[in-house]
Amino acid sequence: MIQKSLFIASLAFSLLNHRALFALDLDAYPEYLRPGPDGNAVSADRSTTDPRGNLFTRSKAIQLRAARNGYVSFFVVVKHSGETPYSLSLHFDRKPASLQPQLFKTWYHKLRRKGSLIPDALIPVGNPFSSKLPDPDNKVAGQTAQSFWVDFWIPSDTVPGLHEGWADVSTKTKRVRLRFQILVLQSVIPTADALTIDHNSYGTGWLESLYPKQSRSAGDGFFRSDALFDLIHAYHRIFYEHRGTFHQLGYGHAGKVGPEFAPELTGEGRHRRIASWELFDRHYGALLDGSAFRESRRGAQPIPFVYLPINPEWPANFLNWGEPGYEAEFVSAVSAMEKHFLEKGWTRTKFEMFFNHKKRYKGFHWDGDETRFAHDDPPLLEYGRLLKKAVPSGSPVQFVFRHDASWRLEQQFKSLAGIVNFWVCSRAILSWLPEQLKAVKQRGDIVWIYSGAPSIAFPSSAILENPLRAWMWNLDGYIHWLTVSPSADPWFNSEGEETCLAYSGERFGIDGPIPSIRLKIQRNFAQDVALLKMLETRQSGEALREEVSRRINGSRLKDWWTPRPALADLPPEDWSNNSIEGGIEPYLHVFKNWDPQYWEAVREHILNLAEGGLTR
Amino acid sequence: MRSILCLVVLAGVMFGEATLSAQQRTKETVARDLEELARVASVMVDGDVCERIMTPRALQKMFAVDPNDRWAGSDNFDVNHEPYVQTKKLLIRLAKLVAYPVDCNLWMPFQQDPKKIQILVRNRHEMSQFWTWGVLFQDQTPEMTEVMATGEPKTIVQKSDFVSVLTPVINSLGDRVGLVEVVTRLHLNPQQHVK
Repeated sequence: MIQKSLFIASLAFSLLNHRALFALDLDAYPEYLRPGPDGNAVSADRSTTDPRGNLFTRSKAIQLRAARNGYVSFFVVVKHSGETPYSLSLHFDRKPASLQPQLFKTWYHKLRRKGSLIPDALIPVGNPFSSKLPDPDNKVAGQTAQSFWVDFWIPSDTVPGLHEGWADVSTKTKRVRLRFQILVLQSVIPTADALTIDHNSYGTGWLESLYPKQSRSAGDGFFRSDALFDLIHAYHRIFYEHRGTFHQLGYGHAGKVGPEFAPELTGEGRHRRIASWELFDRHYGALLDGSAFRESRRGAQPIPFVYLPINPEWPANFLNWGEPGYEAEFVSAVSAMEKHFLEKGWTRTKFEMFFNHKKRYKGFHWDGDETRFAHDDPPLLEYGRLLKKAVPSGSPVQFVFRHDASWRLEQQFKSLAGIVNFWVCSRAILSWLPEQLKAVKQRGDIVWIYSGAPSIAFPSSAILENPLRAWMWNLDGYIHWLTVSPSADPWFNSEGEETCLAYSGERFGIDGPIPSIRLKIQRNFAQDVALLKMLETRQSGEALREEVSRRINGSRLKDWWTPRPALADLPPEDWSNNSIEGGIEPYLHVFKNWDPQYWEAVREHILNLAEGGLTR
Repeated sequence: MRSILCLVVLAGVMFGEATLSAQQRTKETVARDLEELARVASVMVDGDVCERIMTPRALQKMFAVDPNDRWAGSDNFDVNHEPYVQTKKLLIRLAKLVAYPVDCNLWMPFQQDPKKIQILVRNRHEMSQFWTWGVLFQDQTPEMTEVMATGEPKTIVQKSDFVSVLTPVINSLGDRVGLVEVVTRLHLNPQQHVK
């Protein structure tokens, strides 16, 4: 009887011990394979050929290859079926002073429509990090896994070779380890971006709503406070650190200018002048001299682009439009801006005269943005004339005339030649204008395309499609039209976050923005493109693009363009969004059925090339 | 035109309350200013010119519902420049009659659907008590319908710290063809609608 009891007790102990043994685990996934709160990869990210990615070299051992002067990233996942506190740490065997992991806890956003849980926001945490499952803040019922995005920054002076360490998770009774190896390559990623990836926003009102604690503590003076400008600079910094840029438009569709975006004006007609630079300089000074980025790994660089507050109601009064007073007011104020920028030494930034207003918002009689009607071109020509009159030719201050164009892009490439020198284009319409684009590039104009970020419900690699298209087309940049506007409740009732790539950190006690998985993936892509740009010194850009295209889905570079549809011969006012889409739809197969992890293979190819390998 | 402008300037002299400081202003004092301004606006704004602002094509496309192209109405929105600019400049001048920030907005109903109305000219402070930001057209409020029916200006202080006066716009036939909303706020929000 005693023997029997002992046997049962022993069996029970073994079973419990066995359960405990498997209750705690540590796993790893490549950056494009987002682990869900059950430990399995999000279905949208799963590849049919390699559903778990290809990080593992053997059980509990992963390896990543990385060029220097850049990041290499992966997910580490703590899996545990009980409600037990755990501690996670990552460390190298021999402490290289420069190679330090950065840990970010993923947030699982509950999607409003499907109810599914998708990781995106990344909360910076310490290393080591302690918590428990389910995560007390995220409150995912039945959560058995917590994923962390791991960033390794590889400084340019890192010794090439294998750098090894351990990821280590422990509870009170158990410890599990995962071996990681970072194979640091000889190649150094150029610091300069090959492609500007821009993140757009409008005004500053959103900062008040995303940072209620800070705005409350600043009181009525929030929009003139250091807290406001610190937040603005923090947004610039997060995008810069992720190899991007940030734009904030400072005026409305009827010409209302936020005081923090423009120097203060006084006087009218011939007496118009700038009364104060105080708010403007507090806003832009550190951005235009680069000091806002002093602490960044990328170094203190001035922002490459910035919107000016110029619109039909600023700096000249619309009341004077078409009269001598309008020219006097415009030229006086813009000339003073040029002088001020020169005195400050702000000569490395492109100051954009850009008209965002659309007449549908009933502020003005012409469309500044996406002009559709030919009778709206003359005001653009007039502003070109005024800008030339205001800014001395040969000024080291870089004023550019930006125009965001769609319907009349083909006509405006010609009619505004020599006036507009910065084009932000509809990708659909530009897709049938490759020859016209060549001419525009040859005359030295800057050309970007615009679109938006994908929903978090899409494969994580979908964030690459637009910047990749810009690179394939040999453009200068791409702009996400809105990137700082989360759902009303992004945490527990997300609408997909198509307009948010950086979240407010206030919920997590952080006085600024926090990144997203999509932003990190985009940054790592930008590094790859910078390497490709470097490789253009060894082989033609066209050959590089051709090979990347082939490796994505067997397509040819020419497949990324569409034939000019019949509708292009009709007046643009006779087109519709449907007819544009219909005109290019038969040729969009190149963008379909991409493997969610397609870029991993392309990256391997790029790293091989950078290390002196062959094209194929 | 010059004599008309002189009339506007003279009317401005009447607005004694306009010199009150921001702290001294109340909804009542502001309403008095705006009512006087609205009276001038009704005289000055030319209904025939306002009726010529929209292009016939845009008016026709405005209500076309295309389930596959939700932006069809907006993308086809267009105006004739000359009457638009003429009216907008007049509205800007009217707003200058008061010493604090005021907008004079033009609202125009539709012959096709008299229950609907659109804001057609907005101005630099981007204030309106009635406009749902971004919509092309909207339902007339009861106050708008009343002013259009009676021709009597109406002061509205319903929303937040807004004070608006709606006043009719009349054409050469004596028809009431639109409204001017003379509007201000007791506390300006410099960031609102900067987008």
